[in-house]
Amino acid sequence: MSASRLTARLRRLVPWAALLPLAATVLVAYLGAALWSLRISLSSSHTFPASDFVGAAQYERLFDNERWQLALHNLGIYGALFIAASMAIGFLLAVFIDQKVRGDGLLRTAFLYPYAMSFVATGLVWQWVLNPDSGLQNVVQQLGWKSFVFDWIVDQDRVIYTIVIASVWQASGLVMALMLAGLRGVDIEIWKAARLDGIPTWRVYVSIVLPMLGPTLATAFVVLATAVVKAFDVVVAMTQGGPGTASDLPAKFIMDHLFGRANIALASAGAMVLLATVLALVAPLLYVRGHAARKAAKVTQ
Amino acid sequence: MTLAIRTLAATGLAALAGLAAAQPPRAEVVHWWTSGGEAAAAKTLADAYRAQGGVWVDTAVALGEQARSVAINRIIGGNPPTAAQFNTSRQFLDIIDQGMLNNVDDVAAREGWDKFLPPIVLNAVRVKGHFYAVPVEIHMTEWFWYSKAAFKKAGITAEPRSFDELFAALDKLKAAGIVPLAHGGQPWQENLVFAAVLSNLGGRDLYLKVMRDRDPAAIRSDAFKQVLLTFKRLHGYVDKGSPGRNWNDATTMIITGRAGVQIMGDWAKGEFTNAKQEAGRDYGCIPGFGPHSPYVVQGDVLIFPKTTDPLAIRSQKLLASVVTAPATQVAFSMKKGSIPIRTDIDVSKMDVCARQGVAIMKDVSRQVGQDELYLTPDQNGAMVDVLTNYWNREIPVEKVQNDLIAALRD
Amino acid sequence: MNGRRPRFTPARVGVYGFLLMAALFFLAPLYVMLTTSLKSMDEIRLGQLFALPHAPSLDAWRSAWSEACTGVSCEGVRAGFWNSVRIAVPSTVLPILIGALNGYCLSFWRPRGANLLFGVLMLGAFIPAQVMIYPLVKLEAAAGVFSSLTGIVAVHLIFSMPMMTLLFRNYYAAIPSELFKAARIDGGGFWRIFVQLMLPMSLPIVIVAAIMQVTGVWNDYLFGLVFAGRDNLPMTVQLNNLINTTTGERLYNVNMAATILTSAVPLVVYLVSGRWFVRGITAGAVKG
Repeated sequence: MSASRLTARLRRLVPWAALLPLAATVLVAYLGAALWSLRISLSSSHTFPASDFVGAAQYERLFDNERWQLALHNLGIYGALFIAASMAIGFLLAVFIDQKVRGDGLLRTAFLYPYAMSFVATGLVWQWVLNPDSGLQNVVQQLGWKSFVFDWIVDQDRVIYTIVIASVWQASGLVMALMLAGLRGVDIEIWKAARLDGIPTWRVYVSIVLPMLGPTLATAFVVLATAVVKAFDVVVAMTQGGPGTASDLPAKFIMDHLFGRANIALASAGAMVLLATVLALVAPLLYVRGHAARKAAKVTQ
Repeated sequence: MTLAIRTLAATGLAALAGLAAAQPPRAEVVHWWTSGGEAAAAKTLADAYRAQGGVWVDTAVALGEQARSVAINRIIGGNPPTAAQFNTSRQFLDIIDQGMLNNVDDVAAREGWDKFLPPIVLNAVRVKGHFYAVPVEIHMTEWFWYSKAAFKKAGITAEPRSFDELFAALDKLKAAGIVPLAHGGQPWQENLVFAAVLSNLGGRDLYLKVMRDRDPAAIRSDAFKQVLLTFKRLHGYVDKGSPGRNWNDATTMIITGRAGVQIMGDWAKGEFTNAKQEAGRDYGCIPGFGPHSPYVVQGDVLIFPKTTDPLAIRSQKLLASVVTAPATQVAFSMKKGSIPIRTDIDVSKMDVCARQGVAIMKDVSRQVGQDELYLTPDQNGAMVDVLTNYWNREIPVEKVQNDLIAALRD
Repeated sequence: MNGRRPRFTPARVGVYGFLLMAALFFLAPLYVMLTTSLKSMDEIRLGQLFALPHAPSLDAWRSAWSEACTGVSCEGVRAGFWNSVRIAVPSTVLPILIGALNGYCLSFWRPRGANLLFGVLMLGAFIPAQVMIYPLVKLEAAAGVFSSLTGIVAVHLIFSMPMMTLLFRNYYAAIPSELFKAARIDGGGFWRIFVQLMLPMSLPIVIVAAIMQVTGVWNDYLFGLVFAGRDNLPMTVQLNNLINTTTGERLYNVNMAATILTSAVPLVVYLVSGRWFVRGITAGAVKG
């Protein structure tokens, strides 16, 4: 084989070589860990992995478990509200800061700083603020409005909303930062053309810019979605899963059984169920997108 | 090998062995004694170890679950600490089954642990005939703390000696505008309050039948139903802001006189001391109702991950010996709010509540273990889930009884 | 917008109004944290959450930084600061580089099977990381890097790869493919196009990635605890030891001060990064 053909061959391999870290991580770390987790969920492992096989017993136990059912239910509410609110608020904050306001550096930091702080302390602060005795309800009542009630955090059915509030507080700044980065990529010419055509600013944002931000919105959505599925330290810091187990989330259930309750088999079963739920929600989406992308690629070839 | 080389090798080995023998014992200890008072207590252990020529390497990790998980992960990863803190419980039985712990049988035999350790503690640290852990201290989880000022304001003149008297006192507190029961609404605290009702109202036999034997008949009994109902009745005396509250904040309510009574373990003394309050003067401590109330025992131990390194083994044995020494025991417990693991030592320097505890411990018939001593962590957790839901929601008591039977099954 | 500040209009008032209201909501907890950190424990016990401190004092701050007990040693959070730096720098630079490389490769070159790998990677991002600790401990022990700086950097690389790759892949997806094609026609190879064309264009997303990664790594607690080894324990371990206790007393003023101190580094990164959020740095590149 000639030297030039060899180098041409080698050069075609470069993209694959560049993806070696990705491949190694996916295959060894993620796939390996997922398969290991699956195997453990089919055993009776307590603190350490056991090599026995108990079939679907852990999954049966999981679905009989009232606390897990409540956690899944909470996940749905929490996920929907948290993602919607963070996306909306993050987008609005980005758009408004984009209006050449004065002190935008300070404002940006004010919205982003919650993300910098660990929930261990900020969760406790939210607990204090939302507590009817020491927090907001007490203050407002002292100011004169005697019938003001804001005791969601001690209410079985509404405590999950308080978790949403604290989480949105923490995440909106990051969404704002993502959106700002995306807005930077919007061509200045578009703004000039819009002004010439007399289109109001808000119209430009909604009808022109928002569609262009597609990939940014997708990124923000995925970042928030993974945060939802993994959310647990906000629950621990704010309510410890309470009152009772009313604000439990699947990740906290899994963590409790992984560490404190020394039942890694049940925890792994929970993780598998969570993964399967995500897969069930995401797979149709991915298929549609992949199909469209393949069609587009065929057209341009 | 020539004679010269062999001699050289032998001398070298002897020198190395001598070196190893000359190296001081070194113990890296993983523990969760992180707050000020706890750290001061841990320091007494470190000082005692140093006084015997050892080097204490401190690896503090907040929260028991995290610390134990770190210890286990490091054992698995081949980088184990010299010793690790666990509770006096069944938490470390799995580790023993995997053969991952060293035993300290010779230290126990030499110092006669089976002579001075209370039976409950002895059974926890002696597994399959070997001593796998050294107990550090004993806590009692079901003390009733009350604010003297609040009692005075409500016109309560005597300490309650039964649950009926307790409810009468709580009613008086409520009438005086004081929060009757200071409570932190976290699952472990609700479990603690339940155990207080079970041990004091149900009595020792029922307590053991439920916690140790997990007897479904006992759980379905009327006596146990009464325990559950009384437990739920206490919820009516708790203020609305209690869910999620840390136990320290509940103790603060007692300290400021805003609340009357708190059911909490003996570590609560630390909060009172920090606020410069004195037992007997500003606050009172009741270990239980009646002269035969069960004394619910909990505590911490140190376990020793398996190693064949002679220096590490020496360090472990020295640690086991130092921890159980009388002087160390008193020093540690005075800082920690606990009582020593042995009743054969002089405790006149400890505060009045601790002395009361030590006196009660001398009566073996009053000792029972906290649930962790009898239940696996998983069973314990499932039970706590049921109890905390019963406390916070309206659930028929029969359902709770059935849920508990399910939670405590094998 | 062409540089001139817009005139004073009702819409303008609305913009400022919204931003100020939002700022109030966002800053409220910080206010509570700051005032609590300046109060004494006696004052905190009184429970007046929003009241200003009677006699503000920096004692809690001093204690948090250098005196508070985090175990037998009482040296505050300062003890772990340099460890956190030593972990954070490689754990930020390496994942960003590899994320950019992955995103670039996935967006423009699309080798066969790469999208499948990416799909599995994204799915992996939904597994609670703690479930993966045991297998990773065994893996790292076998590789001999458990309880070391390499060990913790590897863990951060593994767990950040999904997000980093996603950020860059979606960012590059928004760049018109004509640009890439033109560069290839000009004779650019894989690495040249990456280093000379794509990376310089990626500044906004690199900033966002840096924000996310610095925050995530600096605030990481569990992985640093398990994988870094005793000599490399990050600041968050001291912070958690300070704040969290099962049966010990809680000094809330010190806790708040320690939290703010620990978050200082990510906050500085946010403040400094602001310079690169100025509009227009990429506006010209597209038209080239």
